[in-house]
Amino acid sequence: MTNTLHRQGKLEDLKGDYVIFTSIAKEIKPGTAPKIHEFLKICNKHGPINIGSSKYGTVLQDDVEFNDLITNLKDGSTSGAVFTDVDTLQKVIAELIEADLGISINVSGLLEGVHECCGKNGIVRHSVEQSLGFWGAKDRLPERDVLEINSLCGHGMVSFNYIHKMMEQVRMRKLTPKQAVKIMGKCCECAVFNTDRAEKLLEKVLET
Amino acid sequence: MEIDKTKCVGCGNCHPVCPMEAISLDTDGKSIVNQDKCVECSTCYRLLRNEGYPPILVRIVRGILSFFSLQHMAPPDVCPTGALTPPELEYPRSLRAAFSDPTVVHAGTGVGGRGTEEIKTNDITGRLRTGDAGIVIELGRPGTGAYFRDVEKVAMALSPLEPHFEEFNPVTQLMTDSKTGKIRDEVLDEKVLSAIIEVKTKLERIPEYLQTLEDIQTELDTVFSVGVASKCLSDGSVPHQQWVEKAGYKLSLNGKTNLGLGRPLFKEETA
Repeated sequence: MTNTLHRQGKLEDLKGDYVIFTSIAKEIKPGTAPKIHEFLKICNKHGPINIGSSKYGTVLQDDVEFNDLITNLKDGSTSGAVFTDVDTLQKVIAELIEADLGISINVSGLLEGVHECCGKNGIVRHSVEQSLGFWGAKDRLPERDVLEINSLCGHGMVSFNYIHKMMEQVRMRKLTPKQAVKIMGKCCECAVFNTDRAEKLLEKVLET
Repeated sequence: MEIDKTKCVGCGNCHPVCPMEAISLDTDGKSIVNQDKCVECSTCYRLLRNEGYPPILVRIVRGILSFFSLQHMAPPDVCPTGALTPPELEYPRSLRAAFSDPTVVHAGTGVGGRGTEEIKTNDITGRLRTGDAGIVIELGRPGTGAYFRDVEKVAMALSPLEPHFEEFNPVTQLMTDSKTGKIRDEVLDEKVLSAIIEVKTKLERIPEYLQTLEDIQTELDTVFSVGVASKCLSDGSVPHQQWVEKAGYKLSLNGKTNLGLGRPLFKEETA
């Protein structure tokens, strides 16, 4: 979950990209499984496009169902969900405040959007982390669209070459953008892959 | 990762899946893993569903199709014969999986993969207090991977600034001396998908750290991602922003926000 920090995209794209996730401090880990269940249930009620947990996978994967996912969760499991608009995010945060779970909950997304959500829900954000981008041997990086898709997985598990392959499959009409995105999303174990954004990027392939 | 050559039919499905470009076609027409490039992330093994076909059957069918200049394209997320075989890893190679596979919980941090709690639990732990800055340098991300010798180079370049390397960070735990940033010799040639150097300092020292990173970046054959964090002020403003901007750098519009819904285990000292 660490590097949802470096998600790439223009302002308009980022407006549709909010990842909400738990992070359990090791000091409070025992007994947190029910709180994580509750977190995921609240998120799931609001129709996330992706949801899951880093150790048990995501609903994009072939063998993972939401009910099995929450049944298998253990104390301390890092779990998250992806939403595509700030209004829904605000509702999710409101319910989480109401639930008073007492665990750390973070949002990756446009800072101003999240800040406003906090204000409307009567809370002040606690801490913020921002990216200063990519440094070093940047000549080894691929084109912007590929980087954008790669950065949608927190661990960068969707390889540059696989993204190229999926683009090629879409271009040749062997896969639809939706089918290609579903396959790529399975690489991401932490459920932070934004299928909507990836699909829009793949649709651009068809326009060229 | 290893590929069982008695099973592999050389379909090549696993080649593009690998984030490190470690898999290619060998001279015998079967796939092979370059063990130096492989970071044991197991992405190939998890993604490519084992179709469980007998290798001999697949080879015969492929041979017949090839005779007629035809080809069967398998779905892109399968291994027809289940040839990918995760090996038993011994130290120091086991570090590759500990840093690169998010399903492996790192023994030293209790966190999956190479991550740490950073600011994500700051509302509970008080890791970063008012006036503190957190700087995270993730080597190898995006998509290039990093050897620990690269990680050491950056850690040692930062050491004259007398950084506080975060104790519960998997890179710090590999240091023989957290004052110099020196990393254990036996792990220097190990490669990982990425590794995060995590430093706590004071807000006003951010420009010095960024200048050091600016200087060292040309000496690396990999990329790295940089992040800066701080605890917000009572009005929700973000104190690190003025220091980063003063140093002449641009911050992302997006980022991570800890909402502050956790119950603190610490008491903030008042000045």
